Amino acid sequence: MHSIRIDRKTGIAAAWLAAAMMIPGAAEAQDAGKLDEGSIKYRQSVMESVGGDMAAIANIMKYGLPLSANVVTHAEGLASHAKLVRSAFERKVTSGPNDAEPAIWEKVDEFKEKTQAFETETAKLVDVAKAGDPAALGVQMKATGKSCGGCHDSFRKPKEESFKRKGGGD
Amino acid sequence: MKRARHAAIVALGAAIAALSFVASAPAEDDAAQRGRKVLEAAGGCTCHSDVKGGGGPLSGGRAMKTPFGVFYSSNITPDPETGIGRWSDADFVRAMREGLAPDGHAYFPVFPYTSFTGMSDGDVLALKAYLFTLPPVRRENRPHEAWPPFSWRIAAAAWRFMFFAPGRFASDPAQSPEWNRGAYLVTAVAHCGECHTPRTLPGALDRGRWLAGSKDGPEGDLAPNLTPDVDTGIGLWTKTDMVWFLQTGQLPDGDDAEGLMLEVIEHGYEHMPEADLQAIALYLHALPPVRNDALAKREQDPAE
Repeated sequence: MHSIRIDRKTGIAAAWLAAAMMIPGAAEAQDAGKLDEGSIKYRQSVMESVGGDMAAIANIMKYGLPLSANVVTHAEGLASHAKLVRSAFERKVTSGPNDAEPAIWEKVDEFKEKTQAFETETAKLVDVAKAGDPAALGVQMKATGKSCGGCHDSFRKPKEESFKRKGGGD
Repeated sequence: MKRARHAAIVALGAAIAALSFVASAPAEDDAAQRGRKVLEAAGGCTCHSDVKGGGGPLSGGRAMKTPFGVFYSSNITPDPETGIGRWSDADFVRAMREGLAPDGHAYFPVFPYTSFTGMSDGDVLALKAYLFTLPPVRRENRPHEAWPPFSWRIAAAAWRFMFFAPGRFASDPAQSPEWNRGAYLVTAVAHCGECHTPRTLPGALDRGRWLAGSKDGPEGDLAPNLTPDVDTGIGLWTKTDMVWFLQTGQLPDGDDAEGLMLEVIEHGYEHMPEADLQAIALYLHALPPVRNDALAKREQDPAE
């Protein structure tokens, strides 16, 4: 028990020493790795929020839930998250467990155009949701889904290459 | 007086109806209208539309990448020279249900006659009637680029001889009419199995793993498992999810369908009567679940 405590103390001291001795470049590299990792996680959380609101509206519609008042909130969630998509992909990270295609950072204008289309369609979805016509909402939900697919088609890895199926990591 | 005028109007209406019957044969129009619904249930036959190459609808030339090479779909507009404009009803029925061209050569099974063989006479002929109402497009068929021996015409005939079982869809009296409708649509008209059933080495459908998904879908895409297996299939989907998916291309988790699936939805399935989509969902959910580990998603991160 006693010796374990000393070992741990020694370990912590060694870690501190190692950290103090680290050359600045290595520290930066470590930071960069952390930011890469975090960027992937962040993108995925933004996409999950988007998917969550899409699914929520779809569930209200397809099951006829008496929650049509909530549709506006979900549409607003989509519209505000749509505005975050470009910044979520500002940092170029193509390795690691993620489904981003390198084309995002190669065809910058096209990526901008496709993400802009998603912003436009989700903004329209908010207007349509507020107007409250179910038929128009159905039409705009389709248009919104299409704008998701429009970007995914070019910039997300196809399912068969998805990191989720490859076992991740590389 | 009023009554007499009414009778006169009715008589006039009947006369016009009779006249138009002679002039434009509405019986055929009915068939064409039914044919449009058949085309939609077949996913719009979008494999015959070269969307990326800019070819007109149904005028062929779309590349279908398969493990045996690249095949190009044919022109099915009624152009007499390059399309099917000179085909008789019998030619069309034989192509759809037996996989044979009017000159008698066998089609490569990239054309899903293996499924269409189950279609009813009425549906096949209605489809032809509809196709013949479309504007003819002059576009020469492009030769396939398959690897020998699959490029040989005789290979298609041999394949057909070995793996093709002709036969119309037979209802199962033990099942409900809705199940039977779903089974007919899925197995014959909508030809879901052609992409979603894994294939054996010679490219025949592995019917023991019916609709269990395939890694070699057309255009190199992965075709998901449509059996209700919880881990690798649609076990966690509801029938409502399936109907919505076929109407919108939107998955239960809010994600979207892409590629050929989105096309067959947009040009076909989403226009189907809801009762038919419900029948499809019912049939799929009643399938025996098949686990397909080749398509399994990686274990989710426990933190997620």
